[in-house]
Amino acid sequence: MTIAEAPPILLENTPISNVAGGLYRRQNALTGLIGGIVLGFIGWIVSHQLLQGSNWGSDMVVTVTMVGWVIGFNLGVGTFNAPARWMLGHDQSYEDELYAAGVTQGKTRYWKFCTDHKVVGTQYLVLVMVLFGIGGTLAMMMRTQLITAHSSFLSPNSYNAIVSIHGMVMIIATIIMVTGPFTNFIMPIMIGAKDMAFPRLNAMSFWVVVSAIPPLLATFFLGGVDAGWTTYAPLSVQAPAAMDAFSMTMIVFVISVTIAGVNTIVTLFTMRAKGMTLGRLPIFTWASLVGAALSIYAMPALLIAFTGMISDRVVGTSFFVAAQGGTGWLWENAFWIFGHPEVYIILIPPVGALLEVASTFARKALFGYKVTIAAFTAVAALSLMVWAHHMFTTGWAPDLAGPFMVTTELISIPTGIIFLCIIGTIWKGSIWTRLPMFFVYLFLWNFIIGGVTGIYLSDVPADNFFHGDMFVTAHFHYTLLGGAMIAAIAGLCYWFPKITGRMLNERIGKTAFWIIAIGIQITYFGQFWEGFQGMPRRVAYYDPIFLHANQVTSIGGYLLMSGFLVLLYCLLNGWRHGKPASANPWHAKSLEWKVPTPVPLVNFLVDPVVTSDPYGFGEPEPDGTEVELPDPDRELVPTLSSDRPVTGGEVL
Amino acid sequence: MTVTTTDQGEPSEDPQDDGRSIEAVAGHHESREQRHFKERLALWLLIGGDLVFLLMELFFWFYLRALNTNGMWRGSACSKANPCTDGLGNPITSEVAKANPAYTLIIAGLVVLAALVIWRAEVASRNQEKRGVISGTAALGLVFLLAAVVVQCLQFGKLPFTTIDGSYASTFIFFMGSTLGHLLLLSFLIFAVWNRARRGKYDGGHWYQVRVNRVFAVWIAISTCVLALVMVLFA
Repeated sequence: MTIAEAPPILLENTPISNVAGGLYRRQNALTGLIGGIVLGFIGWIVSHQLLQGSNWGSDMVVTVTMVGWVIGFNLGVGTFNAPARWMLGHDQSYEDELYAAGVTQGKTRYWKFCTDHKVVGTQYLVLVMVLFGIGGTLAMMMRTQLITAHSSFLSPNSYNAIVSIHGMVMIIATIIMVTGPFTNFIMPIMIGAKDMAFPRLNAMSFWVVVSAIPPLLATFFLGGVDAGWTTYAPLSVQAPAAMDAFSMTMIVFVISVTIAGVNTIVTLFTMRAKGMTLGRLPIFTWASLVGAALSIYAMPALLIAFTGMISDRVVGTSFFVAAQGGTGWLWENAFWIFGHPEVYIILIPPVGALLEVASTFARKALFGYKVTIAAFTAVAALSLMVWAHHMFTTGWAPDLAGPFMVTTELISIPTGIIFLCIIGTIWKGSIWTRLPMFFVYLFLWNFIIGGVTGIYLSDVPADNFFHGDMFVTAHFHYTLLGGAMIAAIAGLCYWFPKITGRMLNERIGKTAFWIIAIGIQITYFGQFWEGFQGMPRRVAYYDPIFLHANQVTSIGGYLLMSGFLVLLYCLLNGWRHGKPASANPWHAKSLEWKVPTPVPLVNFLVDPVVTSDPYGFGEPEPDGTEVELPDPDRELVPTLSSDRPVTGGEVL
Repeated sequence: MTVTTTDQGEPSEDPQDDGRSIEAVAGHHESREQRHFKERLALWLLIGGDLVFLLMELFFWFYLRALNTNGMWRGSACSKANPCTDGLGNPITSEVAKANPAYTLIIAGLVVLAALVIWRAEVASRNQEKRGVISGTAALGLVFLLAAVVVQCLQFGKLPFTTIDGSYASTFIFFMGSTLGHLLLLSFLIFAVWNRARRGKYDGGHWYQVRVNRVFAVWIAISTCVLALVMVLFA
């Protein structure tokens, strides 16, 4: 019996009663919005009335309002339905579960609390694109301000607020840009699971993070956060009430990421198909595992930092204000104990995705599979021991500068090994140069620049020179945008046919690629130039000696933004009008390509049993057929069925 | 990757699978032990995250205490001749008094008692004792937890300092808030255990959820005791 002959069980066609789902039937993003506004408004009024003498925008009033918004939104959207029913002993029925998974809901399920991991993944994908849109727009405003030395486009306060929110929006977006869409949509299918381990927690992690975004954007109307994205104390303690909303965003975000991380790890350890041993896990799932573990154990530092910050601002505690017994160093320690692992929470999952792309398009097994896993783990472990390199110039514990320099430089070894494994994977491969592969090459170029400049910054003497100037900005943009984000785009182009059922237009995609590739080099080489000249970060006005470098950077920035707009058009156009994709357009080997497109509700119509690793390119299939290497000059003719019958086919 | 395939076959034999999860809906072959492993792993991961939070709290306490910025850990450098400044800019002219340790220790004791009683509830459900024993012990655990919450509120009213009186006062109250948050979360869970036990959800050997909550309760008891010891011994 082959998969095609197996009796299909398409749960999405299951008839369910008109009352199934209970409250879920009446809840969606709009009711969430209404709930958030109502409870936020009640919090605003009540806290103001209880606190005689406080103004409408005081720290306490803003904090209570934001708490009201977050709780109200999640109540309205349905996040708390299942826990409440569990507490009351009224567990959800079979039909309730089906409804919550999106059965009979059509496209409206994308606006609702839906437990299907593919819906959650798609929701995350759209959210990430919106966040990048916001962050990118703010970046363009900054570059417009800096195109002349004394521009009046933005006031200094507005500029500082935009710098802070650009930074934090981008950090949030990059943390979830792969773990949100791909770990949710792709990873369960990759391991042969029918869903995540805890589908309701999965949906909860998404809607909780959605509720964190409006408070972040509200900061612009509350005086702006003018303390930079790192919000160093005491600047942040003295900042306007916007800082309370900012802190609330971060606390809620930590909750969401922690829930998602736990769900990812439990899924990987408990939901694998038969035969999917740890040694057969695709490398992307290992990367997701390491990223999730790192997030669970790094995020509590951020949680306590921002809880302390709110407490300093709202009830007058003294954690971070030296005049009253606190210290700004405490903030810096807590922030960077989270902050440096965060770089690898961002970076490791996209690199895992990139390795999948490299292997598939080089038609080669992954080079150094076990070494790569060991390197991911080593990077994660070392990343917990390097945080103070962000504090070399602060005067904190000078005796520890040496050890922290050594641990930071050590981290370049496993990172270099990962880099070599990518090169080893494509070395002498039968390269099939399609759009995702273009971004692999771009990653290699960018990441080596970002990585090497990072080694300079880990060195205490060099860091004393570069700290706080645009060299640092260029370095981390090469790493996070040129590295992590480009790797994520490679993954997006690779899995786009599976997620949307349609192919991207390669011509438009390659146009976007070239504009982005050139834009990155102009923008961030411009920033290196500024840094070498000694231009400080986070300044709205600068000396005219930095003018040329800034003009080059701004022109590069506009070019980069144009490239991303073309890419956005490519994605939207492909999503709506792209050619229908076959089940496995890339002739890839991992499990997600063995299921039909669009993917059924429970992913696998029959339970898969895995009998080999995911990178067996060039090996004959179990049915004896030889694998045909794709011709790079041949445009695939997509069909609605699988290009080749799903391999194997025997029923155990 | 080579795959072979199996038909979906019969649904799980576990009666609790019915309507409990989308895996059950899909006829996923998930044994009770597998489901328990999922919940156990998730719980330990969360406890690991909470442990990091606890360690960060201890870091806050000992770092601020060791640094004693401007003599303002407990205001040891403050005098009438040389007043310090509190969070509102008012002068502090003497050392801030220590909190009464009795409240802290009573709270820790109540939480330990609650954890032990919840453990008894788990034993009762594992031994398939009468429904009333399970719900009764869970209710008793809930009473201990709520008593701890009440004592915490009383302690807040009796503190010889407020949040603005230097870093000892700040950290002490922060620890209280952290303990209170954990107690409220645990109270919610134990309330649910009591209610579900009362409705017969844990009859017939379905004890695992009680166990998961017991493990969490024990963790909360441990972390509360650690914080209490630090608050009492290292003021």
